[in-house]
Amino acid sequence: MSMIAPTIGTNEEAYLSQVERVKRKSRLKSFFKGMLFLLPSIILFSVFVFYPMFQTIYLSFFLTNAQGATTVFVGWENYKALFVDPIFLKSVKNTFLFVFLTVPPTVIISFALAVIANEKLKGIGFFRTIFSSTMGVSVAAASVFWLYLFHPTMGLLNKILEAFGAGGIEWLTDPKWALLAVSMTTIWMNIGFTFLILLGGMQSIDSSLYESADIEGSGYFYKLRRITIPMLSPTFFFVITVSIIHSFQTFGQIDILTKGGPANETNLIVYSIYREAFVNYQFGSASAQAVVLFILILLMTALQFKLGERKVHYQ
Amino acid sequence: MKKMMLLVTIGILLLLSACSSGSNTSQASTKDTTGEKQVVTFWHSMSGAGQETLDSIVDDFNNSQDKIQVKAEFQGTYDEALTKFNAVAGTDSSPTMMQTFEIGTKSMINSGNILPIQQFVDKDQYDMSSLEENITKYYSLDGKFYSMPFNSSTPVMYYNKDAFKAAGLNADQAPATYEEVEKAAKAITESNPKMKGFALQAYGWLWEQLLANQGALLLNKDNGRTGTPTSIGWSEEEGKSIFNWVKNMVDDGTFANYGTNGDNMVAGFLAGDVSMFLQSSASARDIIDNAPFEVGIAFLPHPENKERQGVVIGGASLWMMEGKPEAESQAAWEFMKYLQKPEVQAKWHVGTGYFAINPAAYEEKLVKDAWAEKPQLKVTVDQLQSTKPSYATQGALMDMLPEGRKIIESALETVYNGENVDSTYKTTVQQFNDAIQQANKARGN
Repeated sequence: MSMIAPTIGTNEEAYLSQVERVKRKSRLKSFFKGMLFLLPSIILFSVFVFYPMFQTIYLSFFLTNAQGATTVFVGWENYKALFVDPIFLKSVKNTFLFVFLTVPPTVIISFALAVIANEKLKGIGFFRTIFSSTMGVSVAAASVFWLYLFHPTMGLLNKILEAFGAGGIEWLTDPKWALLAVSMTTIWMNIGFTFLILLGGMQSIDSSLYESADIEGSGYFYKLRRITIPMLSPTFFFVITVSIIHSFQTFGQIDILTKGGPANETNLIVYSIYREAFVNYQFGSASAQAVVLFILILLMTALQFKLGERKVHYQ
Repeated sequence: MKKMMLLVTIGILLLLSACSSGSNTSQASTKDTTGEKQVVTFWHSMSGAGQETLDSIVDDFNNSQDKIQVKAEFQGTYDEALTKFNAVAGTDSSPTMMQTFEIGTKSMINSGNILPIQQFVDKDQYDMSSLEENITKYYSLDGKFYSMPFNSSTPVMYYNKDAFKAAGLNADQAPATYEEVEKAAKAITESNPKMKGFALQAYGWLWEQLLANQGALLLNKDNGRTGTPTSIGWSEEEGKSIFNWVKNMVDDGTFANYGTNGDNMVAGFLAGDVSMFLQSSASARDIIDNAPFEVGIAFLPHPENKERQGVVIGGASLWMMEGKPEAESQAAWEFMKYLQKPEVQAKWHVGTGYFAINPAAYEEKLVKDAWAEKPQLKVTVDQLQSTKPSYATQGALMDMLPEGRKIIESALETVYNGENVDSTYKTTVQQFNDAIQQANKARGN
C-alpha cells in the first residue's frame, strides 16, 4: 500500500496538472480568441481615445510653445492656477447654469411633443417628421440661422418685439440675455433627438397596460401619470444622461453666436479650452481644463447612475 | 452586430485610405506641375471686397507670365489661419507663402518655420526703400525684414454725414477728440432717439490704436522693440481714458453695443442705427458703396489733453515658409515682388481701402480718379503719413498679443454693460500682466 499510494498520488497530481495545463491552454486560447474579436475596437479606442487622453494628461503638466511642443515641466501648477483663475471658475459656473437652463426644458418640451405625437391620428407622421426635424440640422447651420434671428438690426425676434411696442433686446451682447439666447438655440436644436427617443420609448410600452386601464375607466392624465411616465423611466434616464453630457460639451453654438462674450458671460468650459489652446496657444493649461471637464462629467454621470437608477423601472 | 462590425471596419478602412490618398494627391500636385508651371500655394485671410480684389490680382499675375501658377486659398480669419498654420508648420501640407496679421509677427519668427524675406532681398538687391516708410518700420526688426508687407490699414472713424446734418452738426468737420465725439453723439441721439451716437467694437486692435494715438505703449521695453516685454507699457491715465470715454457714452445712452461682432456694427451703421464707429480703413470701399447716405471718414479720435500721435500700421504681411524646394520659394518671391508694383498696389488700394504699400501707386491714374470720386479714401493715407514716428506708433511685438486682445475685448464688453471702470481696469491689467509672464515662462525664460 505504502508503495502504491505515492504513485497514485503522483499520477493523480500529474493528471490534475495535465488537466490544469489543458484548461489553461484552452483558457489562453479563448482569451486570445476574445482579444482577436476585441482587437478592432481596442485599436480604434487606443488610437482615437486612449492615446489622446493620456497625451492630454501628459500635456497638462507642461507649458508649451505655439506648436504645442512641451517646453517647461510645471507639475501641478496648471491645475493650481485654474482654481484661482476667475475666468475658468466663471466658465465652470456658466456651464452648470447652462446645463440647468437647457436640459430640463428640452426634456419637458420634447416629452410634451412626444405625448401629442403619440396619438394615432391621420397625418400624424407629418408632425412627427416636423418635430424631429431639428435633428437633421447641423449645429453650424442652426447657429447661423439663430444668429440672424438675434441680429440687432434686422433680426426677426426684435422686429416682433417692436411690433408689440416693446424695445429691442440686445440678445447676444447683453449679459442678462446672452446665456438665455444661447440656451434657446440649444434647446431648439436638441428637441429633435430627445423627441425621437421619447416617442420611440412610448411606442414600445405594452398596449395591454392601457387596455386594462381603459377597462377600469381611468382618465387620460391618470394613465399618463401612472403608466406612461413610469414605463418611460429608462428612456428618461437615458435622455437626461445624454443631454447633460451633451450640454457640458457645447461648443459650436458658442463659437458662432457669441465667441464666449459678452465679457465671458457665455464662455463655457469647452469653449474656454478651445480658446486657451488655439487662440492663446497655452496647450498646457487647456489640457488641464480638459482633464477637469473629464472628471466633472465622470462624477456627474456616476452620481446619476447612483441616484437615478434606483428610480428607474425596467420591464 | 456582425454586420455592424463589418460596416464599421469598412468605414474605418475607407477613412484611412481616404486620408492617405488625400496627402498623396496634394504632394503629387505640387510635384507634377513643376515640369511646366511652378505652383505656389498662398494662404490668405481676405474675405468680401478684399478677396475679390486679391483673386483678380492673382489672376492677373498668373496670366502675365507662364512659369508660375499662384493658388490663392482662403483659410478663415487671421486667427484661424494662424491656428491652421501651427498645425501643419514644417510638414508638406504647409503653404509656400502665407498672409499673417501684424501681431502674429513674433510668433511666426519664434515658430522657426519661416524664411526671413531679407535673404531674398539681399540676393536680388531688391530695393525695399521704395515702400512706405511707416510700413517698413513696423516689419523690420534690427534692420532685417522677416516678412513682406502686403495689406496695411489703419483704423478710421466712419460717420453718417446725413445724420450729422440732421442734428445740426457740421458734417464736413468730424469730431476729433473724445470729448467732441461725446458731444456729437449726444446731439445725434437727441435729434433722432432711434439712432445711437457712437459704437466701438470690442476689438483689441482698436484698443492698441487708441493707446498709440495718445503716444502710449502697449508693452514695456519700448513695445518689445528693445527687449522681451515683462509687463504692460501704458499708464493708468492712458488706459482709463478709453474706458471712461466709452463709459460716459454708455451712461448718456448714446452708445450702441455690438459686442465683438463687427459685421453687426456695420449693418447697424448702414441701417441708420448708429452714426459713428471706428473700423479699419480696409472696409472703406465696402461701406461707401453700400451706404444709402453720405459716408464721412475721419482720423481716429484722441483725448483732448493729449496731442494726436497717429496710428500703428495694422493689417498683415506675407511670410515665406521654410523647407520648400528653392524653385518654389523663388516663385513665391516673384509673386511678392509683383504685388509691390505701383499699378498692382493702385488696384489694391482702390478696390479695398488698404494703403498702397508702394507710395508710387498714388501717382497712378486709377488712384487719382478714385480719390476725385471718393475723397474719403484719401483720409486713411493722410492719417498714416501724418503719424509721428515713435515706439508707440511703431507697434508692439510679442507672441502673446492675440491673448492680450481677448483680455481687452472682455474688459471692453464689461464696461459696455455698465460695470465699474476702476475695478474692470484693475483686473484687466492684472490679467494682461499674467499673460505676459506666462508667455515668458513658457518660452523657458
